Amino acid sequence: MVHALSEIRRVLIPNGILIDLRPMLSRWEVEVASARETNVTGRVNDFEIGVADDTAANRSMAEAESNGWFVREREEFFPYVYSWDTPHEMEEWINEEWNDFIELDEEATHATRSAWALSDGDARAQLRMKMLIARWRKGE
Amino acid sequence: MTLQKDIEGNEKKYLHEFADFKGKRVLEIGCGEGRLTWQYANASSLTIGLDSDHDALRVASIDAPHDRKHKIHFACAEAEHLPFSKETFDIAVLAWSL
Repeated sequence: MVHALSEIRRVLIPNGILIDLRPMLSRWEVEVASARETNVTGRVNDFEIGVADDTAANRSMAEAESNGWFVREREEFFPYVYSWDTPHEMEEWINEEWNDFIELDEEATHATRSAWALSDGDARAQLRMKMLIARWRKGE
Repeated sequence: MTLQKDIEGNEKKYLHEFADFKGKRVLEIGCGEGRLTWQYANASSLTIGLDSDHDALRVASIDAPHDRKHKIHFACAEAEHLPFSKETFDIAVLAWSL
């Protein structure tokens, strides 16, 4: 990662901007949402390997900063919502696409299925992810 | 399956708050199928999207709006070896890829 940041620095003009945009694991909330209401039904569990990836990325940026390659100008977090027609589709997605770094345990699975079954006809299953966005300026 | 991503539209909003893409030369690393690329590339003067996934890049190229193909390009490369001269870009975007 650090070598990639060195390469990015190389191809940026003086005072060029680097935008770092990525999800951060934080036991994302699971929701059932309809036009009328949104209910949080649980949280996913984070696996250690995913948390380690986030930590490694943060360390790489910190090293780039300490090397003087980039100067952090601004950083914020914002929600990024994935939304599926049904809880089953959400479960499938998590099991097939994200099974390396998060899981939906039985309690959250059951709570989400129940809330969805009892909710309005337009209800969807959602995952509220935490996103990081940071702006870095190329160092001198 | 009907999956909708970023239903609150926050990603585009924050991206444009954090960088002014108008007239800029932009390198996006980890562009995948170009989902994020389309959020800003219209404003840029040149956008290069990089990814190591050939299949995703093929989708991105097919999806590129015809009237923007002259200023949006996709290439297969790794971030550790960027095939560009120094000081080529105004903005680099690490798209879910650090």
